[in-house]
Amino acid sequence: MEATLFYILAAVLLIGILLAITARQVVRSIVYLVTSFFALALMFYLLGAPLIAAFEVIIYAGAIMVLFLFVIMMLELESPEKLPHPHLKNWLPALLLAGAVVGSLVVLLCSRLQAVPPGFIEIPVRQFAFALFKQYGVAVEVVSMQLLFALVGALYLGRRR
Amino acid sequence: MLPIYLTFMLLLPLLGGLTCAVAGRKLPRALVEVLACATVWGSFVCSVLAATVYTGPQVITLADWFASFDLAIPVSLYLDPLSLSMVVMIGFVCGLIHVYSVFYMREDEDYARYFALLNLFVFAMLTLVLGETLPLLYLGWEGVGFCSYLLIGFWYSDPDNATAGRKAFITTRFGDVALMIALAWMFQLFGTLSITKVNGMGFLMPVSVLTMLGILFLVAAMGKSAQMPLMVWLPDAMAGPTPVSAMIHAATMVTAGVYLLARLLPLIGSSKAALAAIAVTGGLTAFYGATCALAQRDLKRVLAYSTISQIGYMMLGVGAGAVTAATFHLLVHAFFKALLFLGAGCVIAAMHHEQDIYKMGGLRRSLPLTFWSFLIGAACLAGIPLTGGFFSKDSILLAVWLKGGVLYQALYLLGLLTALITAFYSFRLMFLVFGGGNGHVHRSSGLTVMQAVLIPLAILGLFGGLLDLPSYLGGGYLSGFFATLPASDIPTGSHEQEIALQVVAGIVALLGLGAAYFRYGKGRSERMREAQAQPSPLLSFLAQGWYFDKLYHLVLIRPYQACAGFFSERVDRGVIDASVDGLSAGLGGAGRLFGRWSTGKVAVYLISFAAGGALILGYLAWLAL
Amino acid sequence: MSVPLSHVLIVASLMFAMGLGCVVAWRANVIMMLIGIEIMLNAVMLTFVGGSAHWGIADGQLFSLMLMALTSAEVSLALAMVVYLHRRKQTVDTDQFDSMKG
Repeated sequence: MEATLFYILAAVLLIGILLAITARQVVRSIVYLVTSFFALALMFYLLGAPLIAAFEVIIYAGAIMVLFLFVIMMLELESPEKLPHPHLKNWLPALLLAGAVVGSLVVLLCSRLQAVPPGFIEIPVRQFAFALFKQYGVAVEVVSMQLLFALVGALYLGRRR
Repeated sequence: MLPIYLTFMLLLPLLGGLTCAVAGRKLPRALVEVLACATVWGSFVCSVLAATVYTGPQVITLADWFASFDLAIPVSLYLDPLSLSMVVMIGFVCGLIHVYSVFYMREDEDYARYFALLNLFVFAMLTLVLGETLPLLYLGWEGVGFCSYLLIGFWYSDPDNATAGRKAFITTRFGDVALMIALAWMFQLFGTLSITKVNGMGFLMPVSVLTMLGILFLVAAMGKSAQMPLMVWLPDAMAGPTPVSAMIHAATMVTAGVYLLARLLPLIGSSKAALAAIAVTGGLTAFYGATCALAQRDLKRVLAYSTISQIGYMMLGVGAGAVTAATFHLLVHAFFKALLFLGAGCVIAAMHHEQDIYKMGGLRRSLPLTFWSFLIGAACLAGIPLTGGFFSKDSILLAVWLKGGVLYQALYLLGLLTALITAFYSFRLMFLVFGGGNGHVHRSSGLTVMQAVLIPLAILGLFGGLLDLPSYLGGGYLSGFFATLPASDIPTGSHEQEIALQVVAGIVALLGLGAAYFRYGKGRSERMREAQAQPSPLLSFLAQGWYFDKLYHLVLIRPYQACAGFFSERVDRGVIDASVDGLSAGLGGAGRLFGRWSTGKVAVYLISFAAGGALILGYLAWLAL
Repeated sequence: MSVPLSHVLIVASLMFAMGLGCVVAWRANVIMMLIGIEIMLNAVMLTFVGGSAHWGIADGQLFSLMLMALTSAEVSLALAMVVYLHRRKQTVDTDQFDSMKG
């Protein structure tokens, strides 16, 4: 049951991303992406990471994608439809590279993970919190500093001259 | 006291030379001249003082030079009769030449360089003579070669002079290489390079090895002493100033080879073959030089060929095992050859630098002092009885005769024939330069001093025979002095034999004189007419030095130039340069090609980056397959 | 749940490849390029979470959290940059910004 749900979600995710990257307009692509990120959040939940699933919805689907939408609106592109669209010659190297990456990764996966038995272990939130604040306390501080720097940088770049 | 004398003997010319070289241009001319002369004369005084306190052969170690591993080379000097007589002669003759140079070079602007080199030349020669270890001797040997190169090419602005300097340097280098090989080999054989030790170890080695060593030293001496077949540089060395020629020919440079062989005779003397090779080289060279001198027209070239010939006599003497006779001739030759060259310098200075003897004449009346000195020099060269040259040359011929055997007797006859030719060409020179009329000369105050310098040399040349009188006249000073040397056993002839040989030699010399008188004294005007005409093939053969220069040009220089041309065109430019150029062009092209990659567009960089990542992934997958 | 880890990883690699394709193909629109980067980062997060669940260690989830924080910082800066550049050249085509040509 859960496995079926997982595969369905995976299909939604992949189709959503495919539509997103081939969309004619950026806004559409963002909406497709939000859909696939919802599917991804559910997959995280299925993989025993409810906290990450929640953050995925809140931060990715909720904050970052909305930020994208804001920027698109701020840019005052007169008609977003007239933006240049990738030609076939742009897609060819992309397809080639993507194919190479997928092919190599699949080959690697198939050769390494044959013996690993399926099955997942649930990680409780308590364990997660312990690891985050006890083991990686410094990393949390560093990340918070980084966010502060990003904030200052964005302010500096965005101010009117 | 002896170490102090020896140290000052070496240091004074060195200091003088360095001072002239470093500060000579800033100092007033008179000071440089006085300094250069004073250091050499000081060195001479030191050598005389050393002679007064000299008691017996002595090794004096002044300092350590090399003392690592097995190779121990101290800076040590060796004073024995041979080196003592050499240094006294060198100091005296070089001192006179320095004084002469002051006046001869009065017009020249480059006095500082000249006197620096002259002083260093003396220093190098003294080092060569006094060095107890072979490397020290080699140092002096190379120093002499280097200074002679610079002095022969002293007026380097004329390409011919510079070429003559290079020719001397390169030709003597053949000999130097042989000496270097011999030194390395001797170190391998004996484990030491001390001359005194090596000389006492000859019996340890098989005769064949000693023969090879002897031949190597002979080649070294051939280069430095201008013996056949490496004698071609000496006639061209006339390109230098005349006092330099006097120095090279009389006191320093060319006697070095004879000195080397005489010094090492106890070692190589036990090899009959090496001695025979030395003797044959000397005899042939003596003959060669004398015949070439017959046909020269240049005053200095006549003297140059006569030097080759006389050094040949000395080598002949060494080859006969007669170190005393060879040294005797060396000393007397130094005096009369310096006399001849300095006299020639006077003549040349008086003749406005004209050197063709057929354009001279009548100087007997206009330059009487030069005439009488030159006459004494020529008489010594010719071996006219009772002059110094007669006794010294005769002692060599006597030693060769007494050595016995077909080879040495043939060499004796060759030597006698050479003596005849020598007498002929020396008086040919006399008659052509000083005979005849219309002597018109250019006088200057310097000329008087220059002529005055000739007097002591003339006296020494004339009475040089007193140094080593034949034993029937009471025996010589030099022979007694040299008796302390570890000499090889030379058979001593009876007095009758000695007198007979000297009578023969005297008659031969007088015959040559007579022939020259008939041909050039009486028939002088006829000869002058002939000189205008085209020379006969034999004459040009002799005048060109048996065409040795052409032979070397054909055998050595042309193939060498062809080789050099080939390597320069095909190998250097064709292969090395071309490949380097090609490489740089390829790299430049590749750089430009890759430079086009940096378009400044983010997308291109991203694609490259992603392609690199994909490649790594692909490689890992290929490994996993 | 009985999904093998390899399937999760294959989904992640497909996602990553599509993100890469998006970045490479959309050189005319910098916003689409940023979206491609987001997709790739999400693929990495999926990998982390899958590994974490497979071995039962919290570190993978932790890193996806860090990644999220990092991404938000990156996106905020990048979008500020886009606004800034658009203000200067009135375009979002990355090929127009080639003043760093070597």
